[in-house]
Amino acid sequence: MLSKNKTGWLLLSPTILILVLAGLVPFFYVLYVGFFQWNPLAVDPSLQFDGFASNYRRLIFDEIFLESIWRSIKFSVVTLSIELTLGFLLALSLLSSFPLKSFFRSVHTLPLVIAPIVVGSIFKLFTVQGLGPLPHILKDYFGYTLNYGLNAEQAFWMIVIMDVWHWTPFVTLTLLAGLSALPQDPYESAKIDGANNFQIFTYITIPMMVPVLIVVIFIRLMDSLKIVDEVWMLTGGGPGYATRFTGIHIWKEVFEKRYYGLGSAMSILYLYITIVICWVLYSVMVARGKNED
Amino acid sequence: MKDRSKEDEVADIKIDNINKFYGDVQVIEDVSLEIKSQSFTVLVGPSGCGKSTMLRMIAGLEDINSGTISIDGTVVNDLPPKERNIAMVFQSYALYPHMTVFDNMAFGLKLEKRSKEEIDERVQEAAKILQIEEYLSRKPKQLSGGQRQRVAIGRAITRKPQVFLFDEPLSNLDAALRVQMRVELAKLHDRLNATMIYVTHDQTEAMTMADDIVVLNNGVISQKGSPLELYNDPDNLFVGGFIGSPKMNFISSKILSASNSNTELDLLGSSKINVPKSLSSATEGDSVMLGIRPEHLTVNEDSDGSWESKVFVVEKLGSGTFLYLEKEGEPLVVQTEGDSNIKVGDTVKVGFSSSRCHIFNSSGQAFK
Repeated sequence: MLSKNKTGWLLLSPTILILVLAGLVPFFYVLYVGFFQWNPLAVDPSLQFDGFASNYRRLIFDEIFLESIWRSIKFSVVTLSIELTLGFLLALSLLSSFPLKSFFRSVHTLPLVIAPIVVGSIFKLFTVQGLGPLPHILKDYFGYTLNYGLNAEQAFWMIVIMDVWHWTPFVTLTLLAGLSALPQDPYESAKIDGANNFQIFTYITIPMMVPVLIVVIFIRLMDSLKIVDEVWMLTGGGPGYATRFTGIHIWKEVFEKRYYGLGSAMSILYLYITIVICWVLYSVMVARGKNED
Repeated sequence: MKDRSKEDEVADIKIDNINKFYGDVQVIEDVSLEIKSQSFTVLVGPSGCGKSTMLRMIAGLEDINSGTISIDGTVVNDLPPKERNIAMVFQSYALYPHMTVFDNMAFGLKLEKRSKEEIDERVQEAAKILQIEEYLSRKPKQLSGGQRQRVAIGRAITRKPQVFLFDEPLSNLDAALRVQMRVELAKLHDRLNATMIYVTHDQTEAMTMADDIVVLNNGVISQKGSPLELYNDPDNLFVGGFIGSPKMNFISSKILSASNSNTELDLLGSSKINVPKSLSSATEGDSVMLGIRPEHLTVNEDSDGSWESKVFVVEKLGSGTFLYLEKEGEPLVVQTEGDSNIKVGDTVKVGFSSSRCHIFNSSGQAFK
């Protein structure tokens, strides 16, 4: 008979195998390719070595790449702020009871189950100049021209609106779960202490929600830094570089220009930057959490 | 118990015919009650009797379906808690987990926009009274249960309210700490001279701390009075059984004869006892309950009525000994001296003193 330990490893082995094959092998392969010049469709399809970390040296001076990173960070900060504010307000309103509450909750959750690529298609069908109804309505009734194929500002904010539409329900649901689990007694003592609803929210609810907020911020931050599919469907990264987030930029470098080595180096560098951002955020939050203890 | 003779007799809190429903269930039924200024009143009763609901209605945390509650002459039915000039201490402490002890105690004062110096002074003063000065910079989760409850009490003290409400504040503490806190709360009441209303299911807490006890059962007041009134002269079977530990023995009996001042009862088929209590509606042959407390029964002594039985359990507490005797399927508990040498299996003669006996009719009403 197998010992308990061996049975455990045996049961875990398929997962570990899949994790290694699907996660670690490609990661180390990308890391490896990042040190070479490589175009598999070129006359010489082999890996070319032209000096240690040449791709990384190139990237430090690659303005388009660096700009795409700033754009991604700006996008993440903007969407996260809007989603947190909206999500908190919706979660608070869902705590109270009102007619058709469960219907509203179900409808509000629907975007969550739609694949990003489909969300991109839906938004394109609704908003693209010439085809979608939205530009017509805005033009005819409000005299506003919506053409994000030409207007860079509009393109960026269109992506923001799409991301908010897609992911606010996730923030709402997570915060709602957190709010429902909060102890009720401090609220009662705050009422007796003389706090009004706004004071209860700022002094009691928000501080007690910090652990849940940390989780939501992390998940949404990492997700929004990785955005590709919706943007790809809606604007393809344009007009110009207006919506060229890092994910899109890497895709274009690798699959359009066939810079496999450079693209791999970009992926690794971007992963590193993402980890650093998350690590800094985590350290700040843990420090704050320790302070709370 | 405090001497209230010198104090004013103004009814600080007046509860008038209040009713409370949760859906179709009536949890408080036409309760009227006057709580005197500066008194320590304990609402006591079993779980679900409505005592916490009463307290929460006084606090303003529960709506009142009908009737009025007045504090210091003002009807407060529609006032929010903060305008009632009350402070409340909860069973679960209800501290703000993210604030330090100081901030917990200062929160109410900050909301009142008091000056920094005043807040500091009041918090320090409360912390000194409760001996929690060294914990002021800690968070609630770094404190023990007893310390947390002190903070909760401190939070109430700092606001200097007219009325303190306590909702089973000692129930989460261990037995030793409960006894200690009980004494401290009594001391605190003497020191602050505020009106305090205290809810508990523990009759010992009620007996030891209260000026007045209000016994609640199924949403109605069973009896109100001083601890000794309730102990010596219960109005009904429920209060007789609820007040006192170990609880009063009840023996089914029949009235052999009844007069204006005395009632003669059959005592477990073995003898008779003539109790100097009566009830106008009582007649010969009525089934009644004879109640007598374990500490009022005697062992192997001459008495007004007696009964013999075998001892099946002996509990030695040092300060006293409890004997459990077999009686119609239920034990009869007798308290005797701590150094008693009665053993399991011994047959003892239990003596009843007629002046210590209580009689309750079939609907639970006491003979007086």
